Amino acid sequence: MKYLLFVLFLLPLVVTSYELFILQNVNDPIKYIYTVTGVISTVLLFFSICLSMIRKWVNLIKYRKMIGLFGFFYAFLHFLNFTILDAQLDFSFIIKQSLDKPFIYIGMIAFFILLFMAITSKKNLFKKYNKYHKLIYFALILITIHFVMAQKSLTFIQFSYIILILAIGYFKLLQQIIKRNTI
Amino acid sequence: MYKLTKKDWEISENEVTSKELFDNRRTFLKLGAASVIASGSIMEALAKEKMPIKNLKFTEDPNPNNLILNTYEQITSHNNFYEFTTNQRKVKDMAHTLNTKNWTIKVDGLVEKPMTLDFDDLLKKFALEERIYRFRCVEGWSMVVPWIGFELSKLIKYLKPLSSAKYIRFETLYDEQMFPDQKNKVFNAIDYPYVEGLRMDEAMNELTLMAVGLYGSSMPKQNGAPIRLIVPWKYGFKSIKSIAKISFTDKEPLNTWQKENPKEYGFYANVNPKVDHPRWSQARERVLGKFFKQNTLMFNGYEKQVAHLYKGMDLTKDF
Repeated sequence: MKYLLFVLFLLPLVVTSYELFILQNVNDPIKYIYTVTGVISTVLLFFSICLSMIRKWVNLIKYRKMIGLFGFFYAFLHFLNFTILDAQLDFSFIIKQSLDKPFIYIGMIAFFILLFMAITSKKNLFKKYNKYHKLIYFALILITIHFVMAQKSLTFIQFSYIILILAIGYFKLLQQIIKRNTI
Repeated sequence: MYKLTKKDWEISENEVTSKELFDNRRTFLKLGAASVIASGSIMEALAKEKMPIKNLKFTEDPNPNNLILNTYEQITSHNNFYEFTTNQRKVKDMAHTLNTKNWTIKVDGLVEKPMTLDFDDLLKKFALEERIYRFRCVEGWSMVVPWIGFELSKLIKYLKPLSSAKYIRFETLYDEQMFPDQKNKVFNAIDYPYVEGLRMDEAMNELTLMAVGLYGSSMPKQNGAPIRLIVPWKYGFKSIKSIAKISFTDKEPLNTWQKENPKEYGFYANVNPKVDHPRWSQARERVLGKFFKQNTLMFNGYEKQVAHLYKGMDLTKDF
């Protein structure tokens, strides 16, 4: 199971690299990398918080760390795309954009939360910092705002994603309330 | 002293192909093709480029600035045409529902005689010329396109607007059968029909083109067939596609993107590396097909030809 998931989560990277470097059929590589890495990262991170909701049917809880780390991995590629290809390592530009533009700093804050979580996911550090891992919910809110801001106009498909995200949020909240009341 | 000056894109007389040679070009090409067909490599190269068959007669642009053209494949497979979809890669496959047969353009407003123009007549009326222009999208991508068309100023002179006309307003065709997103009433990407406008002096500028084709052949549907506007010093969204209506007015037209989001899109939409979009910088651009970015030029590189139009204006406010 572990290896199956591993291969599954690497697949988007392999397909994207194949299109970019072998087929070379992508007109706008920077935008394409943004889209692929952004989408995969978002899906994996939301999936990681849904594991407790679907454990009755499939129990993937023990792969939560791996799924979360893969989510971070794609967010990291997203970040590298911004710093290397988009900003071409112009650090004054990166810092200025990150401080000035809500679209950029919302993404940046979310990224640094993920970075913190990735670092503290090591066993010994996790013991100390796991209570801060609740920050994932804050990061997911920021990611959603970042995703909505990236759109020039919202169409049916994007509204569907937002409704799905709200539904996940609702069920997570419900789960928390039930948990609190039963203790 | 009056001096006759050549425009940047005009070629000198001795470079112009004589009429006989031009008329005989098919025979000439066939001879040439026949002689290389044995080797096959050139034919293969042509096929790889997926070049269209030229069907328009036009004077060539000598490309004095040596702009590097994007391929036909790139230009025709990366399109913003929200009437079909917001997905740039899918427009090409969806655009077949656009029917350009018997296309007409309605002309009304402050004009001597409102009328309906027939597209095929326009092609006969105005000599076509090639214009190799940079094309810069507000989303940050850009390309270089060899458009074929005629100057908008020529059409305006023919239409004879009244002196009270200060602006020209364009509309894309509204037809729910041809444009799937126009059928979406609640979740449509933008309001239709798509509207754009220019100040009259911008419209009369010699760079402003009514384009009917590219790479020597009729305009592909996904690129705005049969006729579209090209305003090379402005962001791409000003270059409205599939024009079905032209009006002359004394009020600044509210263009589609300004209506959708006035904080992010203005009426002028001049390419300006110094004025950022609220979400991203406009200082650089991604040329289609390239991994890295290049600097964006003021007025997209057409500063010499158009800067005078905006003298005294604050382009951070009139963006």
